[in-house]
Amino acid sequence: MNQFIKSITDRVISIWKITDEVARGKAVETIEVELEEMENVFGVLVLGSFIGMPSPPMQISLDLMPFMEKELILMMEKVDTANEPIAQLFSILDIG
Amino acid sequence: MNKATNVFFMGKGGVGKSTSAALTSVFLAQKGFQVLIVSLDPAHNQSDIFEKKLSDKPFQLAPNLLAIEIDQEFWIRRYLKDVHHQINRTYSYLTALNLDKYFSVIKHSPGLEEYALILAFEQIRKDFSRYDYLVFDMPPTALSLKFFNLPSLSLIWIEHLLSLRQEIIQKRELITKIKILKKEFERDKVLKKIEEQREQYQTLKDTFENSELTQINLVLNPDKLSHAESIRILRALQDIHISLYRTINNKMPLDSSCAVSDDALANIPMLNFPYSETPLIGIDILQQFLEKNEDQLEKQLNVC
Repeated sequence: MNQFIKSITDRVISIWKITDEVARGKAVETIEVELEEMENVFGVLVLGSFIGMPSPPMQISLDLMPFMEKELILMMEKVDTANEPIAQLFSILDIG
Repeated sequence: MNKATNVFFMGKGGVGKSTSAALTSVFLAQKGFQVLIVSLDPAHNQSDIFEKKLSDKPFQLAPNLLAIEIDQEFWIRRYLKDVHHQINRTYSYLTALNLDKYFSVIKHSPGLEEYALILAFEQIRKDFSRYDYLVFDMPPTALSLKFFNLPSLSLIWIEHLLSLRQEIIQKRELITKIKILKKEFERDKVLKKIEEQREQYQTLKDTFENSELTQINLVLNPDKLSHAESIRILRALQDIHISLYRTINNKMPLDSSCAVSDDALANIPMLNFPYSETPLIGIDILQQFLEKNEDQLEKQLNVC
């Protein structure tokens, strides 16, 4: 009997944990996209000279480049979705 | 505490920047000050003036007087090598991309020329902090102005990048807090680097703006063209809050009274360097010239 109660409790706890995680994930989904967009803007701002954008003095870009691995990868990813901004927006807002 | 005073010599090409810098350094060394004369001009006239082969290693020209020539290329190469090394260490998996190819192009980027001079300047201030005077023979006007402008311009960019980065970090912390309920965050390396850069450029800007640490001498000849360019230099420096210490009228008939100008240069102390019949080449000739004109120069220095 004790075993049965323990198994039920474990399951309830596990369901609670997953629900909590999903809810937290949902809550920050949009902010995460916004953050990603900001990081992309930061990347383009600093490393813009490499893609023909106006950029800060070269030494500022070069000094920061070694620490901008994430922004570099993000910029590459953004290149893929850059042609379909509406589709991307719909998927963020969960429309359709 | 870095007590060395930076004495810069700027002006139109051919007005006698290098000669004025050489004369000043010899004059100060004779007075018993510890002096280092640095040639930041890629044309490197100091070797010709002192008739000595100068390099990036300090060379003793006279008691109390050392000379150095800065090789811009060397500083650009050294800087890019450092960045390259950092990138290789961080993105070791990217080595397959052959970064060398990109770096050979970056070397020719606009802006690295003046940054090389800034790096050399910082190193010299560090290495010769115990000296009384660091005399800098500057490159032609355009590059010199970029050199003085670099800290202010970089700071504008840095302030913007800093505020964007802080916003990013704030958002990132918010997400981490909600998702993982953790309150300890890793220090953002990019933010740290931006803050380091801000400090570096702010120190440089403060040094250039501090008239006790930095004395900019503007050399000109009694002709219309060099006068016009001098006015432009004065205005460009005023835009970045750097003031002129003195104007030097080179190749002038020596007069005990101070030359008077009726325009923007009027409020700046002036010094007349007389025209010399013999070319001022070699330390002995420079010393003789100073001896010959000592009384007049001293008089001007006291009055003007």
